[in-house]
Amino acid sequence: MSVVDRLPGGEGERAALIGGACVLMAALFALTPLVVALPSALYVFFEVAILYAVYGLLVLGLNLQYGHTGLINFGHVVFFAAGGYTVAMLSAQNPFAGIGLGYPWVAALVAGVLVAALLGALVGATSLRLRDDFLAIATLATAEIFHTLFVNFRGIFGGNVGLSGIPQPIAALATDGDTTLLATLLFFGGCVAFTFAAVRRLTDAPYGRVLRAVRADELVARSLGKSAFSYKMQAFVYGAALAGLGGGLFALYSGAVAPGFFTLQVTVTVWIGMLLGGAGSHRGVLAGLAIIMGLRLLSRFALDVTPVSASAFASIRLIVIGMILVAIVRYRPAGIWGNAEELGVDS
Amino acid sequence: MGLAQNVVFGLVTGSYIAIAAIGFTLIYGIVNMINFAYGEFITIGAFVGILASGTLSLPLPIAALVAMVGGGLVSLVLARGFFTPINHTGPVPLLLTSIGLGLALRNAVRLVAGRGARYFDTSATTYRFEGLPDLPVGSVDLLGNLFVTSLQLVVVGSAVAVFLLLYTLLTRTDVGIAMRALADDEDLARVRGIDTQRVRDSVWMLAGVLAGLAGVLIGIQTNVSAGIGFSFVLQILAAAILGGAGSPYGAIAGSYVIGLVLALSTAFLPSGMTGISSAIAFLVLVIVLLVKPSGIAGREVREA
Amino acid sequence: MSLLAVEDLTKEFGGLRALDGLSVSVDRGDLVGVMGPNGAGKTTLFNCVSGIVRPDGGAVTFDGTDVTGNSPEALARAGMIRTFQLTRELRTMTVRDNVRLAATDQPGERTLPALLRTDAMESREREVDERADELIEAFELAHLADEYSANLSGGQRKLLELARALMLDPELLLLDEPFAGVNPTLTRDIADRIRELNSEGMTVVVIEHELETLTDLVDRLVVLQQGQLLVDGSPETVLDDERVVEAYLGG
Repeated sequence: MSVVDRLPGGEGERAALIGGACVLMAALFALTPLVVALPSALYVFFEVAILYAVYGLLVLGLNLQYGHTGLINFGHVVFFAAGGYTVAMLSAQNPFAGIGLGYPWVAALVAGVLVAALLGALVGATSLRLRDDFLAIATLATAEIFHTLFVNFRGIFGGNVGLSGIPQPIAALATDGDTTLLATLLFFGGCVAFTFAAVRRLTDAPYGRVLRAVRADELVARSLGKSAFSYKMQAFVYGAALAGLGGGLFALYSGAVAPGFFTLQVTVTVWIGMLLGGAGSHRGVLAGLAIIMGLRLLSRFALDVTPVSASAFASIRLIVIGMILVAIVRYRPAGIWGNAEELGVDS
Repeated sequence: MGLAQNVVFGLVTGSYIAIAAIGFTLIYGIVNMINFAYGEFITIGAFVGILASGTLSLPLPIAALVAMVGGGLVSLVLARGFFTPINHTGPVPLLLTSIGLGLALRNAVRLVAGRGARYFDTSATTYRFEGLPDLPVGSVDLLGNLFVTSLQLVVVGSAVAVFLLLYTLLTRTDVGIAMRALADDEDLARVRGIDTQRVRDSVWMLAGVLAGLAGVLIGIQTNVSAGIGFSFVLQILAAAILGGAGSPYGAIAGSYVIGLVLALSTAFLPSGMTGISSAIAFLVLVIVLLVKPSGIAGREVREA
Repeated sequence: MSLLAVEDLTKEFGGLRALDGLSVSVDRGDLVGVMGPNGAGKTTLFNCVSGIVRPDGGAVTFDGTDVTGNSPEALARAGMIRTFQLTRELRTMTVRDNVRLAATDQPGERTLPALLRTDAMESREREVDERADELIEAFELAHLADEYSANLSGGQRKLLELARALMLDPELLLLDEPFAGVNPTLTRDIADRIRELNSEGMTVVVIEHELETLTDLVDRLVVLQQGQLLVDGSPETVLDDERVVEAYLGG
């Protein structure tokens, strides 16, 4: 289908409407004296759902990179961290250790997105000409380098403890903790919906056609006059910027950042979510991520009723996740909702 | 501590990384995949060694042999179960599968063996080179009080033995020659009547044997835990790519470069910064990928 | 006036000279065939001209401008389009999208117009759709328009590649073995289309080693041997040339 075929009332437009509604409701809860009381059993659900929304921004960006353009970015977490740490260092007041400049959070968030995008441009400019499995390694190594820097440069990044004292704007506006949780979830959900609308428009447009041509055969795209490298850079930078936005929002929600939030595990979770749902399909990757994170939620409840220890349970969960990845690649390489013909895999 | 001492440490680290990197790079060259689960092969080998030497009270050399056999078998079984069936799908699905398998294996080991670290029961003799004159250059002392332990000699000696055996294998035996042929040109190898699957199986087995040995040697030098192999996998990868992915001799050279970079950066970084020595190893990897992606001895990994 | 001129072009691969000081030119409106035994340097010539590989020496001039070493995308935008010996259809895209992709001047290929869904993008896309459908129709692929091109037969892929190339309205069309692996009926069909395009003014260069198809089709034949120009002339003179007879029949 082309743009003209899918013009009116598309999925992207619906998503934008939903996003608008979410943000309005979030504003309603945050800015008015209106309060909600959440049953305490639901706290864990809200926590996971908020993290899901943050990771949702990551997976939409990753899907633009891999699902549409074919770029293998195994260092996605570094852009997430770049957003988080930039926001933290610019906005934190009296961080426990490291830098905290106390600038307004809005400026810090914008800077967080820009820094992540800039880092994406830097990594992209140097690595996007590598063959795909080596691009994977180069990005992975980049992420590991930064992780080590976060841990070791205590005076700048706060070391293992990280940075605290980051403003929490929604908490500051809302009346109480329960209301904050709900408003945060609504606002983050709205951000995901807007992002969905944007990437959907982008990939439905002739722009997306070029991205998919680059994924299919870069040389053909070039022979037809498309600057493949420039499109790869754009997709990479947009994905990085979205991850930076996720990191910035996360920092402003949690009030602290630490290396433990930004491990290889984040990249793995987002990748498995994307592959499970079906790379290329924006709705699919969000759904796939929901399944993987739902597993995390489920395991929190299941932990209470099973006799094994928390650490044993964590191991079991990771074994399951690892085997899910193995199984998808082998038995359903296009994922649950992916289009096997569009991805060029046998199913 | 003198510079010479750090060179010794670097050579020791380079030795066990080299043993592992040979296995890693052979898989890359012949199966055409980056095997991220290779760290877990090392971990499993190390645990087999711990079981053999601790629980069965076998002497260390025998325990190492058991670990090598165990590593070889585990590697072959895992390859047959997980990688061989999707061999035709290309490098990316294989890489993804190895990440999933690695995650599962690492946590399976953790589940069974717990989170604590275990140690090989070893006794080491330390040879000191007393009376070496100090040779200061600026703030750096070149010689200092140099010492070498018998365990370090075992590690380096094992590595040298592996290199010699590898050379013999690749140049003198049918299976080794077939491996080289397959790495050079798969189609041509097939036309010449080489049973490619059998060669791949041998490579998996060999890589597992090397992982088992590397696991025991790493265990002797440090300790054994569920994450031990994983903590080395990026360094092994860096060494293999530095040497030119697919080239075993290149991997040896790359490993010693990485080992020395790690040891020397630890020595020269201000205290409190020593943690970034691993970052420096990865930085070397990234720079190699960007500047000369074919490595010291290898082939092109950049797109045309 | 010459549209494409190649002067003293040299390219080595691992010590082997694929092109060895080759000079040849193509006038506007020409229909030229390039032939020669395997390894004569035909495809390397196309690769050097179309920017896919950088020549070691020599110059390529297109429409009066030195384009040596320019990128394939720049050359494509300048009006020089090539096809590939082994067809390179975009297997994971539909026939329709393969053809539409090639459209030029689509503002919707930039981020902002795509996000804002500008009128300019939409009106251009309507033109693109129309033109793409015309070409798909003309190449008898209409019944396959929504099929993924991985599912096409060899001959259909050749047609698709041709249709895709024409979407750009090239000034110069470089066809690398358009008849390879194509049945006789389709070969005649493709040859007719090439002749028609040429009579409408398009300059076409065709690589082929099927002698007969080529001699019937083109006005002028260029024969390469070991990266050098062997003979250049009308099909009749070339076929009578002793060196050609020797290269083709004597060996």
